[in-house]
Amino acid sequence: MAREFKLPDVGEGVAEGELVRWLVSEGDTVSEDQPVAEVETDKAQVEVPAPVNGTVRELHWSEGDVVPVGDVFVTFDVEGEADEEPETTDESETEADDGESESATESAGGRTFAPPSVRRLARELGVDLDSVEGTGPSGRVTEGDVRAAAEGHATEPQEEPPEEVREAAEPVGEQAAEHTEGGAASAEPAGRDKTLAAPATRGVARELGVDIDDVPAVEQRDGEAFVTAEAVQQYAEGGQAAQGEAAAGGATREFAEGGETTEPYRGIRRTIGEAMAESKYTAPHVTHHDTAVIDDLVDTRSKLKERAAEQDVKLTYMPFVMKAVVAALEEFPVLNSELREEEEEIALKQDYNIGIAVATDAGLMVPVVKHVDQKSMLEISQEVNELAAKARDRSISRSEMQGGTFTITNFGAIGGEYATPIINYPETAILGLGAIDERPVAEDGEVRAAETLPLSLSIDHRVIDGAEAAQFTNRVMEYLTDPELLLLE
Amino acid sequence: MVVGDISTGTDVAVVGAGPGGYVAAIRAGQLGLDVTLVEKDAYGGTCLNYGCIPSKAMITASDVAHEAGNAEEMGVYADPEVDVAEMVDWKDGVVDQLTGGVEKLCKANGVNLVEGRAEFAGNDKLRVVHGGDGQGSETIEYEHCIVATGSRAIEVPGFEFDSEHVLDSRDALAMDDLPESMVVVGAGYIGMELSTVLAKLGVDVTVVEMLDSVLPTYPDDLAKPVKDRAEELGIDFHFGLAADSWEEADDGIVVTAEDEDGETTEFDTDKVLVAVGRQPVLDTLNLEEIGLEPNDDGRLETDHEARTDVDNVFAIGDVAPGPMLAHKASKEGQVAAEVIAGEPAALDYMAVPAAVFTDPEIATVGLSEEEAEEQGYEPAVGKFPFSASGRALTTGDPEGFVRVVADEESGFILGAQIVGPEASELIAELGLAVEMGATLEDVASTIHTHPTLSEATMEAAEHALGHAIHTLNR
Ligand SMILES: Cc1cc2nc3c(=O)[nH]c(=O)nc-3n(C[C@H](O)[C@H](O)[C@H](O)COP(=O)(O)OP(=O)(O)OC[C@H]3O[C@@H](n4cnc5c(N)ncnc54)[C@H](O)[C@@H]3O)c2cc1C
Repeated sequence: MAREFKLPDVGEGVAEGELVRWLVSEGDTVSEDQPVAEVETDKAQVEVPAPVNGTVRELHWSEGDVVPVGDVFVTFDVEGEADEEPETTDESETEADDGESESATESAGGRTFAPPSVRRLARELGVDLDSVEGTGPSGRVTEGDVRAAAEGHATEPQEEPPEEVREAAEPVGEQAAEHTEGGAASAEPAGRDKTLAAPATRGVARELGVDIDDVPAVEQRDGEAFVTAEAVQQYAEGGQAAQGEAAAGGATREFAEGGETTEPYRGIRRTIGEAMAESKYTAPHVTHHDTAVIDDLVDTRSKLKERAAEQDVKLTYMPFVMKAVVAALEEFPVLNSELREEEEEIALKQDYNIGIAVATDAGLMVPVVKHVDQKSMLEISQEVNELAAKARDRSISRSEMQGGTFTITNFGAIGGEYATPIINYPETAILGLGAIDERPVAEDGEVRAAETLPLSLSIDHRVIDGAEAAQFTNRVMEYLTDPELLLLE
Repeated sequence: MVVGDISTGTDVAVVGAGPGGYVAAIRAGQLGLDVTLVEKDAYGGTCLNYGCIPSKAMITASDVAHEAGNAEEMGVYADPEVDVAEMVDWKDGVVDQLTGGVEKLCKANGVNLVEGRAEFAGNDKLRVVHGGDGQGSETIEYEHCIVATGSRAIEVPGFEFDSEHVLDSRDALAMDDLPESMVVVGAGYIGMELSTVLAKLGVDVTVVEMLDSVLPTYPDDLAKPVKDRAEELGIDFHFGLAADSWEEADDGIVVTAEDEDGETTEFDTDKVLVAVGRQPVLDTLNLEEIGLEPNDDGRLETDHEARTDVDNVFAIGDVAPGPMLAHKASKEGQVAAEVIAGEPAALDYMAVPAAVFTDPEIATVGLSEEEAEEQGYEPAVGKFPFSASGRALTTGDPEGFVRVVADEESGFILGAQIVGPEASELIAELGLAVEMGATLEDVASTIHTHPTLSEATMEAAEHALGHAIHTLNR
């Protein structure tokens, strides 16, 4: 029997993925769980497994296509079943199922219940109604559901950078308010006492978690502010859609002359770009530079390196830096924090989860080593190596890139001394490491060649003062200069 | 091209100006497309000229006469005199007003009207043959074509329509002089609607039906009240008989019908009306020219956008699959026009309502209880009899009921069946409910005007929920 296999939800909340590579061809025999394609989303690159044993009847997309989740992806001829009407398998029947992606609205008879206006909207926005989870009465699909599903495509990357530490369950309204930068000026809450709106508009506002009194009025009725559903929508999106469109427009622009090639700005690249822009333009960055003299650390590491190698662990400098950073963070907790503008609070994190920026072919990824304070040097070492390898071959999972409280970026791995790291927003500080090398150091009136490590610490100046940045860096340097101190940690 | 031919170009050529074609043309015009509508006979098609409208006009007129003469119960005594010629004139006036309206609306929306019979003369060309000698022909080059050529009555072998002794529905609706007796072949909706009209106007009607019931496509509990009322009106039913032949007799004609075993029955009558169904009209279009072929049903297969296998050719209405109904034709016309204009339209309605304007009326939408079960639902069914409706009693016609079928688990309304006064109007609310994905609760909680027939809908929903006020709960 032919089985239509829809692209499963390849990552939490991901709406589409770019088909990087087919791993099978039409006519190939496949077994259940055998990877059939590599799909890159804005979160990571994943392999999509076959849901059945059988042969590949049809590959529905070409490499490079962006495939919406829930669209028919591959048709399989299932082994041992007579050929009949195609049957649809979707994410609910595959391993990738997260248990809630299949809509409750699809009941017997295969119908999805939604009013005609919503069905039309779905067609307009290119949303497959059957894949939308209805939040209306008895699971009916509402206009809001369809819009949310559609926005899943357009605004997903902006809403959740990979290093995202905020809870996914945040109400939309909150996110919207956070994302006002670059959006329409209208995204300022209006805060009226009375607002006229149609009941349906109020419904939309409720669904989106928007206070209708905050939505900028588009017109006046009987001298009162009147708000439309679109205005609510726009307010909730906070101009995100407009940004998304601009980016998309840029991606497809082609020039008649001038000799250039274009690459699509999407997937991981776009996510990084958006996260960077958000950080840079939200947090006023100040970067503090200094250099640690680390002859002792170089010695210590080369001694311990052999010991570690006996246990099959490749010991780098990173675990030492991480330990030093955590020790300094314990003393200056403000650098291990997050600013929540909305709630007007600075959250000082109890966990010491250190993100390590890793350059990969696809761009920057930040795996996170959790609870560095509770782990041994060897454990940390091992974990860093594993995570970095996973990031490079892009088998890293989303959860392994979440929950960071402070980030270290090792631009020195490639060379160079100082740089301006961009904070892994909404964290408030990031430490950049230059290349460890012999450099001239003046000591007691003499210049000698010493092993040095240049440090560049960027801070969110709204939260952290320059003095705190300097003190923190000093403490990190102390530990690195005199690694024995780490024994006390 | 033949010398003397004129050739014009258009974005959309629509063939046939019935409720499918003219709606498509107007919608396409509204969307800024250049539209040419070709009609060989009369604007408004079957529906306005020979079908829905004239039949409903005659039904209402005969009802007025019949009710006036049968209201003793209410203390009204009358013996109405019917002038059938005047009645037909009035009906024609209604038709003229409507068809004139169609023409005006088409022009107002920039639709080019062309009179003549169109046939395909290439993948992007129609040849329009004008009637009469020396009228020449013209060629219309189109980007898109919408085929809306409708349907015609099916002839029974041996009963070629002659408008004198053997009539189709169109002839029957045009009679301005009533026969004393009529044999009606077929007890489908057109046969039953017209039989009722004729009986109410005093014609002696005999219905011959091959199957074993009236309105065979409707469930028994809906059809039975119609048969009972028809019998009260004096209609004589013969089931299991197939009309076989007819011949002229001294005084009228003799119609012979045969049963399964070959036994024949003869009926002396004045005329015979054959109403055994309708067939799509595609044979005059020269479809081979564009490589299209009707399916076994005689229809053109279409997709959810009303598109045929030929990409720029659409088919709507009676020539497309689905029930042969005017409102279905119109909706398809709208969708085809919108699709051509690049709008996100599609034929994704959940239910097409249907109404039979018999006495009492029948109307249905969506799924019956059995269909719901077949589709895997666990149906919750609620019913409210008009005999418990204050308004129905005050109309003097409390026959029938409203039945609502919903999904027990979610409460979604899946369908409804109504038999009784104004069923054709009452079904609209439930059609909306089905389309909206409204639940029993939604309908039950909506305040309905009292006293009206529409309250029955609310009560049926309440009944399904187990808390009806005016009827016993299940
Ligand atoms: C007695 C009767 C009662 C009915 N009652 C109802 C009712 O109550 N409710 C309901 O919904 N439906 C009713 N119908 C059915 C309804 O009339 C049809 O479903 C409807 O008219 C179909 O619309 P259409 O646009 O597809 O075709 P039509 O209305 O049949 O229109 C087709 C038009 O195309 C023209 N045409 C055909 N070929 C060509 C050609 N080659 N070139 C140019 N023009 C061409 C024809 O002249 C005609 O005008 C009734 C039908 C009959 C006969």
